[in-house]
Amino acid sequence: MWPFDAVDWLTLSIPFAYLFILVGSLAVFSSLYRKNKAAKAASLAPWFPPHLQRNIYLSLLHMEPEPGHPKVPDSVLKAALLRRATEDIHRIVQIRNAKQALQVLLQRGSVGDDLWQRFQRAEKEIEEELRDVVNEANAFAPNWGQTIFQSASEMAQNTHLRERLAEIQSTTQSEKEWWEKRKETIKSDFMKELDEEKKSPMEVSSKPSGKTGSDDDAVIVESGGPAATAGKGKKKKGKH
Amino acid sequence: MESPDTFTLLPLHLNPQSKAISSTGTTNNALATELAALNTLHRSLLSVDTPTGTPPPPVPVNPKRSAQINKLRESGNNEFRKNNYANAIRMYSLAIEMALGRPAWEPSGLVREEVSGLLSNRAQANMALQNWAEGAVDAEASVEMKKVGNAKGWWRRGKCLLEMGRYEEADAWVKQALEFEATEQDLVQLKEEIEKKKDR
Repeated sequence: MWPFDAVDWLTLSIPFAYLFILVGSLAVFSSLYRKNKAAKAASLAPWFPPHLQRNIYLSLLHMEPEPGHPKVPDSVLKAALLRRATEDIHRIVQIRNAKQALQVLLQRGSVGDDLWQRFQRAEKEIEEELRDVVNEANAFAPNWGQTIFQSASEMAQNTHLRERLAEIQSTTQSEKEWWEKRKETIKSDFMKELDEEKKSPMEVSSKPSGKTGSDDDAVIVESGGPAATAGKGKKKKGKH
Repeated sequence: MESPDTFTLLPLHLNPQSKAISSTGTTNNALATELAALNTLHRSLLSVDTPTGTPPPPVPVNPKRSAQINKLRESGNNEFRKNNYANAIRMYSLAIEMALGRPAWEPSGLVREEVSGLLSNRAQANMALQNWAEGAVDAEASVEMKKVGNAKGWWRRGKCLLEMGRYEEADAWVKQALEFEATEQDLVQLKEEIEKKKDR
């Protein structure tokens, strides 16, 4: 056959070999590079710590019903799912708060690309997590998926609110003690002053007789004095 | 977090009687706290009366508890008007407890509103008994729950601090209060009063 006889196969193979090696080496390099990059991204520390609530929920879900271990009741699973949704709410809030700041920092070059990659991974994960929770919720009760995150968000806020309140209320005792002490010093100062003014030791002698007793004394003394407007006047007077 | 398809299996155990979940393996603190929270939530979830056993959406609110809280508040107000301040404080405390005892999935805004009003009232009753320290704490808590539209709460803590002779604190507090309630006449007056005392 004409065309094939005329071809010098050996010489022709050289450019083909050249092309093959070129393309092959590029392909190998590209695949290695990509693999490396993916491995690096995967090995970056995750944004969030392990999702404890999710682990608990799934552990409960996969608990094997054995003779000694009855099946986990649905109510427990629902509670665990609610806890999981609440933790998700915390995470979403964190992601939302961090996003804007992180974008600005990234634009300015203040943070590395690694951090941004970690963040984006966390964002993607949380999206899938939400979808998963909604599906699970819908499996328990029709349309629960639509309200579970409303409930979870209220739960998160309610917990926060009660914590704040408990924190403030826990100062009551120390405040009270401080004020009792302060009242005593004001009172004794006032008594001393009175002592010096009137030089009458009789009235002062009954001073250390307990809190309510001394209170009465102070009022009695005051009603005899020039300024008499309940307890407030007494304190002001002690200040002079 | 792990990838979406995997999870860490935890060594959990279900108590057949109480249905309480506990950990059988080595317990760390976080797991123990979480399980305690889970068991508490489970118990409160059992008392829900929806047919599916899931918490109802935040609104509408179950009116029963609201009515009870209102009743307690009213009786507290009545005691206050009769000058039975100690009783009034007790009523308000009960009402606060009731409001805080709402199931966790009910609207937190509602709890804030109720608790802030009740704490403010209790602060007033404490002030009537000259318990300035308690009044100050209650008013502070009330403001923490609701900062805007709570001029009374702001005023009451300012007044308590003033009465205790903590002028610097009172001054700072009232200044902050005026940022929220600039037009409130009582707060402006209190500020003047504090400044007069401080200058002396």
